[in-house]
Amino acid sequence: MRIAREIETCLNLAFRPHRLKVIDESEKHRGHAGFRDGGESHFRVEIAADAFASMGRVERHRAVHAALGKDLMGRIHALALRTDV
Amino acid sequence: MSQVQDRITDTVVTNDVVLFMKGTKAMPQCGFSSRVVNLLDYMNVHYRDVDVLADDGIRQGIKEYSDWPTIPQLYVKGEFVGGCDIITEMALSGELDSLFDDRGVSYDKDASEKIREANA
Repeated sequence: MRIAREIETCLNLAFRPHRLKVIDESEKHRGHAGFRDGGESHFRVEIAADAFASMGRVERHRAVHAALGKDLMGRIHALALRTDV
Repeated sequence: MSQVQDRITDTVVTNDVVLFMKGTKAMPQCGFSSRVVNLLDYMNVHYRDVDVLADDGIRQGIKEYSDWPTIPQLYVKGEFVGGCDIITEMALSGELDSLFDDRGVSYDKDASEKIREANA
């Protein structure tokens, strides 16, 4: 749960979302590229924030990537992302 | 610009639709790449596939090119459109149809409607 909590903290600070779900889907990818024992490799994030209202889809994703930072992005294999206002 | 960036530019401007992916459209090596391949194939879109696993320079270079950290990446008429989540969302909302219409990319409109009906 360590990385999941880091993701949550970063996104809460950056966007003050009114809805945020961070789901570790690593188990679903067992045996696939990037899977590692102990999980925390594949995440699904659902986030709704007012900050996204003025952004296009690509911009929203880029903002989330930037909020997580290169280090954290580098430590996870996959990030499925759903952004809403 | 580096040689890799030049090669990427050349690929995305000389092909109307390009998918940078893991594996090939005949044999995707990743679930996310596979999802976009299935979608484009079902919509009968003519596109060029580039296997980033076959070329480490392209694999790193494409992330810098678009300032986007993940694969797959879809380009239409030289412009970066998005990754797997964005392409899926755009197909379901009809935005992908509009984009193809605007850019003069041919696709099967009926198939596209069927995708939306199946996911309504």
